[in-house]
Amino acid sequence: MTTVFLCEDSLDGILTGVYEAWGSRLGHENVRLKTDEADTMELFCQYQTVRTDMEKAEKVLRTVRRRMGEKAQEAVCYAAACPDERKADAIYRLIVLGMSMEDGRQAVNCLQNPSVLLVEKLRYKAWHEAERMLGFLRFQELSGGVLYAYMEPPYAVLPLIAPHFADRLLQENWIIHDGRRKQIAVHKRGSGWFLADAGLLNPVRIEERSESEAEFQALWKVFCRSIAIEERRNPTCQKNLLPLRFRPCMTEFQV
Amino acid sequence: MQYTKIPEQLPVMEKLKILSDAAKYDVACTSSGTSRGNNGKGIGSCFEAGICHSFAADGRCISLLKILFTNECIFNCRYCLNRSSNDVPRATFTPDEICELVMGFYRRNYIEGLFLSSGILKSPDYTMELLYQTLYRLRTKYHFGGYIHVKAIPGADPVLIEKTGFLADRMSVNLELPTAEGLRKLAPAKTRDKILRPMRQVQNRMEENRQEIALYRSAPRFVPAGQSTQMIIGATPENDFQILSVAESLYQKFDLKRVFYSAFVRVNDDSALPALPGGPPLLREHRLYQADWLLRFYGFEAGELLSEDRPNFNMVFDPKCDWALRHLEFFPVEVNRASYQTLLRVPGIGVKSAQRIVKARRLGSLDFADLKKIGVVLKRALYFITCRGRTMYPVKIEEDYITRNLLYVKENLPPELRGEMTYRQLSLFDDGMPLSAEEQSILTVGESGPAAGFSRERRIL
Repeated sequence: MTTVFLCEDSLDGILTGVYEAWGSRLGHENVRLKTDEADTMELFCQYQTVRTDMEKAEKVLRTVRRRMGEKAQEAVCYAAACPDERKADAIYRLIVLGMSMEDGRQAVNCLQNPSVLLVEKLRYKAWHEAERMLGFLRFQELSGGVLYAYMEPPYAVLPLIAPHFADRLLQENWIIHDGRRKQIAVHKRGSGWFLADAGLLNPVRIEERSESEAEFQALWKVFCRSIAIEERRNPTCQKNLLPLRFRPCMTEFQV
Repeated sequence: MQYTKIPEQLPVMEKLKILSDAAKYDVACTSSGTSRGNNGKGIGSCFEAGICHSFAADGRCISLLKILFTNECIFNCRYCLNRSSNDVPRATFTPDEICELVMGFYRRNYIEGLFLSSGILKSPDYTMELLYQTLYRLRTKYHFGGYIHVKAIPGADPVLIEKTGFLADRMSVNLELPTAEGLRKLAPAKTRDKILRPMRQVQNRMEENRQEIALYRSAPRFVPAGQSTQMIIGATPENDFQILSVAESLYQKFDLKRVFYSAFVRVNDDSALPALPGGPPLLREHRLYQADWLLRFYGFEAGELLSEDRPNFNMVFDPKCDWALRHLEFFPVEVNRASYQTLLRVPGIGVKSAQRIVKARRLGSLDFADLKKIGVVLKRALYFITCRGRTMYPVKIEEDYITRNLLYVKENLPPELRGEMTYRQLSLFDDGMPLSAEEQSILTVGESGPAAGFSRERRIL
């Protein structure tokens, strides 16, 4: 009988799932991994819920890095950020394949294997999404000089984009808020960044804007309007490059 | 003509409106070419591939804060909105205003950096000095580490240009018009020589700088993202072949990173300018960019794509497809054996898929299904390639035949091979009609030879 391991929909959750599924000694073909969404249960399956354990996740990630190389580690991290229900099992199969190979570094190149191909495709999608978010994220200045950005991305890109801003805005205090996952990334001036629960935010404080904020927003809106050439107007092209789903959180498209 | 000068106390909002509106006809808005982390003191980094922060209503990317320092100009170029004879509101920023704007926008992640151009205020030297002041302040006082693209003003003192180059990431001098003759006609104050001189200077200095950096790793970098230029397409009667040849020689002789093409927009009513009832020549601009890519990444030469007898691009097909149709003697190409350079010349195979093919065929031979997964556009490529000695369908290597089928852009299958055509009901009355060669080959499907192979492939599909 197949045993399905239900893990939390996060990188740590999936990696803990990999640890538990492997450690269960049921045989790789008898286990499956799934991220726990409210889903129709299958008959003739045992379900086992995995409790996320940072230590186990860390162990798995370290092993992946050591045995399968940095590329595989990156592929696993990015693929786990995708909203795709097959991702957990594909990651598990990739790791099983990598561990069984003499040179685990070659595992990510075995694109004829459907799981590896899926992980590679998901990696590309998440990477692309993260890269777009680097540009489309908008900060607002709160009254204390803290920069605050709000986004609702379908992909869990927050940990993927935070290092970029930690380097770029090194001398700033900033918060990036992922409204969909209720997560925030916090950066303190001159030091590193960390992930936290959005419950820590003071809902009143994040509504207060600094004095110059409204002015800069107005300036930016004026700039975006005047930089377009009327004779070349092309909303289809604009929509292809900047899909509507990004726009609610972007200053220049807010009224 | 007289114009009232608007006082310098104009609010920043008004200035931004006027000066970004005046800068919008400049094309280059790329922030690529430099990779640089935060220097630890200030704000800013550079991302090698560049980042687009927004897209304007015309579909062009907004990556940099694209503004003019001033739109006052002593020159009277016919095509330019800011020419001295035009009655438009004029404004001039101060260096500090620009710095405040850049910092405010950059902190909020609106932009990747600054694109600073300018009209000529008083003299080229005076203007260049102001641009230098702005960049100097931005880099040293505000500790800005983001991307800066600045224009070198033709005719300015070389010392000023050099000093500015050490503060900027990219520099550009606009070629304005493809030929010296066009320049004489539309921009009498500018000469080809005056424009090329700073371009040459930046090129030489970059070359020297490369050696300095090889010697001393921490030597200051001069224009690390290279230089670019742009020309206006359609304002003067040059043909595509002339334009592309100019671009080619700029890449080869001036070591430019990019040449930008800007479809002419008629902003001034001037008898020397052409009337464009159909709007700016956007398709022509698009074809030039496609050809530009072929020059830079695909190993083509301008003389191969166009010639004196055929000086303009085909508006129906892209330049590569057009070239392939005129050189059918090179095709079909065997995917499993052809060199990388040959693969790049096949329509439907780009740089990425060619690289993947070369990598993948080391492990085993490739079939059409594999090519599809790799990302080859088979609906274009199928007429030009074979896999293991076979074409995908029985196709003819004939210009007319391929042209006709390629115009069916949405279909992978040649039309006569689509279902309803293959099994046509026999009619009593078409006895005497002779069958064409294609029809005969279709009717003999399943018997022997290549047709048998074809029917096998159909079933797999």
